[in-house]
Amino acid sequence: MTDSDTEFRLARHRDRRAEALSAAAALIWIAQAAVLAQALGALLAGRAAAPVLAALLFAGLGLARIVLAERAEARAQAQAERALTEVRRQIVAVEARRASDGAFGGAGAVAALAGDMLAMTEPYLTRYALARARVMIVPPVILVLAVWQSWAAGLVLLLAGPLIPVFMALVGLAAKEESRRQMTEIGGLNDLLVERLGAVLDIRVLGARPRVLDDFAAQADRLRARTMAVLRVAFLSSTVLELFAAIGVAMIAVFVGFSLLGAITFGTWGGPLTPEAGLFLLLLAPEFFQPLRDLAAAWHDKAAAEAAEDALRHWQADPGEGMPGTGRAVAPLVGPALIRLPAGPGLPDGVDIPQGTRLAITGPSGAGKTTLLHRIAGLVATPGLEVCGVPLDGTTADAWRARVGWIPQAPRFPNETLRQVILAGRGGDPGAAVRAAALEPVIARLPRGLSTRLGETGGGLSGGEARRVLLARALQGAPDVILADEPTADLDPETAALVTEGLLAAAGQGATLIVATHDLALAARMDRQLDLGGQACARC
Amino acid sequence: MRALLIVLRRIVRETWPTLARGAALTLVVLAMGVTLLGLSGWFITAAAVAGLAGLGATFDVFRPSALVRFLALGRAAARYGERVLTHDATLRALHRLRVDVLRGTLAAPLAQVQRLRGAETLNRLTADLDALDGLTLRLVLPLAGGGLVLVGTGLALWGLVTRAVALWVVVVPVLGACLVAALRLRAMLRLSGRAEAAAQAFRSRLVTLIETRRDLMATGRLAAAAAAVTGAEDRRAALRRQLDREDRRVGAVLAGLVVLAAAGALALGGIAVQAGQITAAQAAIGVFVALALGEVLAPLRRAFSDTGRMADAARRVAGRLPGDRHDEARPLRRAAGALRLDAVSLDRPGGGRLVAGLDLVVAPGEMVALAGASGIGKSTVLAACAGLVPLAGGEVRIGAVPLHEMPEDDLRATVTLVPQRSALMAGTLREALHMADPEASDAALWTVLRAVALDDLAASRGGLDMQIGSRGTALSGGEARRLVLARALLRRPAVLVLDEPTEGLDDATARQVLAGIRATLPEAACLLAAHRAVELKAADRVLSLTPAPA
Repeated sequence: MTDSDTEFRLARHRDRRAEALSAAAALIWIAQAAVLAQALGALLAGRAAAPVLAALLFAGLGLARIVLAERAEARAQAQAERALTEVRRQIVAVEARRASDGAFGGAGAVAALAGDMLAMTEPYLTRYALARARVMIVPPVILVLAVWQSWAAGLVLLLAGPLIPVFMALVGLAAKEESRRQMTEIGGLNDLLVERLGAVLDIRVLGARPRVLDDFAAQADRLRARTMAVLRVAFLSSTVLELFAAIGVAMIAVFVGFSLLGAITFGTWGGPLTPEAGLFLLLLAPEFFQPLRDLAAAWHDKAAAEAAEDALRHWQADPGEGMPGTGRAVAPLVGPALIRLPAGPGLPDGVDIPQGTRLAITGPSGAGKTTLLHRIAGLVATPGLEVCGVPLDGTTADAWRARVGWIPQAPRFPNETLRQVILAGRGGDPGAAVRAAALEPVIARLPRGLSTRLGETGGGLSGGEARRVLLARALQGAPDVILADEPTADLDPETAALVTEGLLAAAGQGATLIVATHDLALAARMDRQLDLGGQACARC
Repeated sequence: MRALLIVLRRIVRETWPTLARGAALTLVVLAMGVTLLGLSGWFITAAAVAGLAGLGATFDVFRPSALVRFLALGRAAARYGERVLTHDATLRALHRLRVDVLRGTLAAPLAQVQRLRGAETLNRLTADLDALDGLTLRLVLPLAGGGLVLVGTGLALWGLVTRAVALWVVVVPVLGACLVAALRLRAMLRLSGRAEAAAQAFRSRLVTLIETRRDLMATGRLAAAAAAVTGAEDRRAALRRQLDREDRRVGAVLAGLVVLAAAGALALGGIAVQAGQITAAQAAIGVFVALALGEVLAPLRRAFSDTGRMADAARRVAGRLPGDRHDEARPLRRAAGALRLDAVSLDRPGGGRLVAGLDLVVAPGEMVALAGASGIGKSTVLAACAGLVPLAGGEVRIGAVPLHEMPEDDLRATVTLVPQRSALMAGTLREALHMADPEASDAALWTVLRAVALDDLAASRGGLDMQIGSRGTALSGGEARRLVLARALLRRPAVLVLDEPTEGLDDATARQVLAGIRATLPEAACLLAAHRAVELKAADRVLSLTPAPA
């Protein structure tokens, strides 16, 4: 049980004060034990004793012990919470501005890391350092005291103590080996359940309910049997520890008993063992092993913490590229909304897009239509791209986007009301935008109208309706530039026509309209086409 | 708390034999620990008295010392058995609970099932199930075992030491623990519920932030949204600090009770010794037993701090558990004949009429397409034909049998729905198809694969043993779609209901698949929701849905 070379990073500051408090609390027990031993010794010898006074002294010391331990724990908990919050803030700050998902994974993986995985390090962060400090200090002190009273008692502790970690390590290794072999199967029950819950409708319409339930129950049972096989080995390690602790305490009790009877005459430094010394030894013996047991319990927490630490390191290894700007609402850029695209993939010459242009970006899947829209919106850093006569970079991106209406390809709404989604923080009255997007009948049907909450499930909107909500949002506040990514994909012809007309109406009032699209009918309605597949600017 | 009891009752009912054995061993371990320390204290004190009196030679050392050794070793062995048995019971319980959640969800109304599709909802459900894992291990067994040991300890001390010591050593911890529960438990439950809600808010806001960050950036709201995520974390941390403080206080009070019990045992025992009522060795028993109670009380702290989270989780999980009714096995009765909708009206999930007074007949062997703009209610009409959504009016019949009178199993044997979005599970192609009909021969499987033009692909990629990957990820969208259709054909239903069956297929394949479906099930009444020209053309008739009058 030594420090591994990869000290857990969340626990980088060692709180020596908390460690000292914790060890001091454990050491107070020695004084309590002495008080008890003296009091009982006086009683059994029939000497004048003051049991009430001794009891008060014992209780007072006990109170001090509890207070110190509580303080140590408070410091450790506060520090753990601070560390976790700090890491979470860092994750939020980085993830919010990332231009795209990194190698670590998407929203689910990051949320699992920032949520449950980090939370599982808490027991380790609060307990392990304190337990380790107690192991370093308390058993040696008790050992010295025991040797001072009786070398034989000291010898028992000396033999039992160091043997414990050795045996535990051996059994622990076996358990680790066993569990690694079956790890993939053991974490799996939740995964199995989630997969089946995701397929509930299919299971039901296929009438496969009884069969799937039986299968799942059988799988769960097999998993339990395998998990128990691992646990049976894993529990041996704590049993070894308890066995040694129990043998140690029992040997001391028997040795002390026989010594006091006079049946054993060795083991002390001259003179027989006094009853007080015997009781003192008996009271100290369990506390010799207690810190080891605490550390063993915290040791198990370490595995979870190390998994989280690994994941955190994996996450940190790929900070990714950030989106330019801060994402705050600021005053818009001034001047005509001229966009100057630099030369790039699919664009050998660069393109100027004056305000009021209606432009279709076309090309096969994967040609970079969406990426180009992201560049124009300032969502990906693009050296050389100018808007309103200034370079589009971190200092101008927020002000540029204040002039842009944005329609992404896949509707995904935060947990907000329809009104909040359409206004998008721009304020004003959504009426005009709602009319332009032909959303009125949709809103009239919703039970709570504009106050209906959307969210993960979309609040009961169909795909076409959700697209029209995005259109209304883009039109809100009459922006100078509208960027739309595949605005008519997956729509039935009626809805596609509604969306197209809404976009063209906005362009008719002087706004630049740029659509990335596969839809030939939509592309034909634009002034210009920018084909990323080969010849740029087919009809310039 | 009521939900916690419901979950607990279910667990106990399912796992009581293992649980009872585990509880018995818990009791044995705790009792042996208390006895060991009490006996050791008595043995040493009595030995010292005998030694001082010069009676060492007549003192029976062997029985007590043998008992000390037996208790020490036996306790470690019993502890191992206890760990194994209680964990086995816990695993049984939590596996049972998961099977029950699946059973309950399989019988739940469609709206509830659709809510489960969200990743966050599923995540929360598994987190709740995990939280309930500790119910027996950390809450029930320590409470029950600790209580019984305290009673036994009281009785033993009553006989061995003095009544005053017995009462003090038992009453102080019991009363103290009850007092703490009465005063602080409610506050802790509330705090932990709020802390958990904040943690969930942090998580789901973070997911939304990451999934919509580009959108939020484009609309100038990213900074505010990120601040809202951090705000949830700050709130969680603040609540957690309060909860930790409560938890430490409870721990301190429980430790203080043990100190108080031991100090009282010393004072009362000492006075009794001086009064000549008992020997010093008897007084020592009281003191050492009181100290041993620390081990009995310590798990209560964990129980206190975890109860809130468990109660919270139980409240959400209990709603997903199925009723106790078990369906009896009985022969299937398949209905046959035309699919007939008489004046069917349907409501939106949120409220408001979606479809009003729809009349429709699909004869056996006929294919009818439902057309209309998205959101008009095509999918809901199909779900109604499969008996998955309640009717607001009218009746759906197959032949002469009203749908709502058919038991679930008969209904599923008669009608098969292929929903717009289907889920596949990890496994082989054969396993995926066997979900529809476990008895089907390989030849029958190849027949339906051929009908949906998947036979060449399957043959080139390992045949029926081809792995389709978790959620069918080894297949393209169009391949997965055709596999789902093949699965439906295997059911050989009298009524086949298809929601945009050829989405994601090119026109040529779509034509081939639709023809394959009709050739495989020439006698089925087939209703499909369609907006592609190729689907509309394949149908014998097209019915356009119009919006319900407001």
